[in-house]
Amino acid sequence: MPALPGLVAAAGAKAAGAVAAGAQGAAAGAQAAAGAVAQAAAATAPAATVTGHAGHLQSYLVVSCVLFALGIATILTRRNVLYVLMGVELILNAANLNFVAFARFGGYGMDGQMFALFVVILAAAEAAIALAIVLRIFHDFGSIDVTRTDSLRD
Amino acid sequence: MLDFMFFVFAGLALLGGLLVAFHRSIVHSAFALVVALFGVAGLYWTLGADFLGATQILLYVGGVTVLLLFAVMLTTRDSTRVSLGRNVLVAPIVGYLAYLVWQAGLGIAAIIADTHTAVTADPAPTTGAIGALFLEREHYLLPFEAISVLLLLVLVGAVTLARRGQEAA
Repeated sequence: MPALPGLVAAAGAKAAGAVAAGAQGAAAGAQAAAGAVAQAAAATAPAATVTGHAGHLQSYLVVSCVLFALGIATILTRRNVLYVLMGVELILNAANLNFVAFARFGGYGMDGQMFALFVVILAAAEAAIALAIVLRIFHDFGSIDVTRTDSLRD
Repeated sequence: MLDFMFFVFAGLALLGGLLVAFHRSIVHSAFALVVALFGVAGLYWTLGADFLGATQILLYVGGVTVLLLFAVMLTTRDSTRVSLGRNVLVAPIVGYLAYLVWQAGLGIAAIIADTHTAVTADPAPTTGAIGALFLEREHYLLPFEAISVLLLLVLVGAVTLARRGQEAA
């Protein structure tokens, strides 16, 4: 157990590297994570039957946070509409992961999974409509660059 | 074992996400999205959500990414390069948003810590419970029917949008 805060902090530091220049925020997050895990380890008895990182909410929060950051980075840096869609999918998955992890570790039963299921269904619907619109944009503008689609009329 | 699986699937998810965000070729990025979504499905399994993981693979890996690949091959002529060096403003924005999300997650984790129950390593299958929840009026029957109507609308809307493009051509 005492090795855990350091490991989670290391994971947070990895997150900082992935976000590139968001290093300050992520490093602060890693420190907060280390503190939170230390508190949790001190406060709760080791009753959980799942051990290691898979048994801790914070490990899933780290993964979800990094996925969210990568999704935002994709949306902000790319100019192709399809990349923006991929970034949105990454962000939705990060949110879903949080739903399921919170429900599991908070003991809320199936509600988190039901929410995540609805999100997955809505994401599929969104992708279908968005790709139909992308094809129309490509037909009308001859390109799917988000900076060049500046008109709604023919 | 579960710990090992967590690392494998988290690694897949993060590797795929990194490639989506930074790879030069959009086709490679689309395939990397498959890897990332598969990793997230594996993380659902380590969380005991077996049906959700299977749905993720069926709908996302089998459906959404195939649609994306179709769109990529129908529209893209050249791949857009990432220019993170030129987008100096992007990095602090991403870092700050990620920091906010992280803090929010920790806040909810602190609330949850009161209701935290012991997590069993081998949870029960969830498919039957999810099916019952979908069809019980006091639970999710109304959203279930609403989303059926929405899917029908999406079906008609997508066909209409795509066909209008063809007729004009």
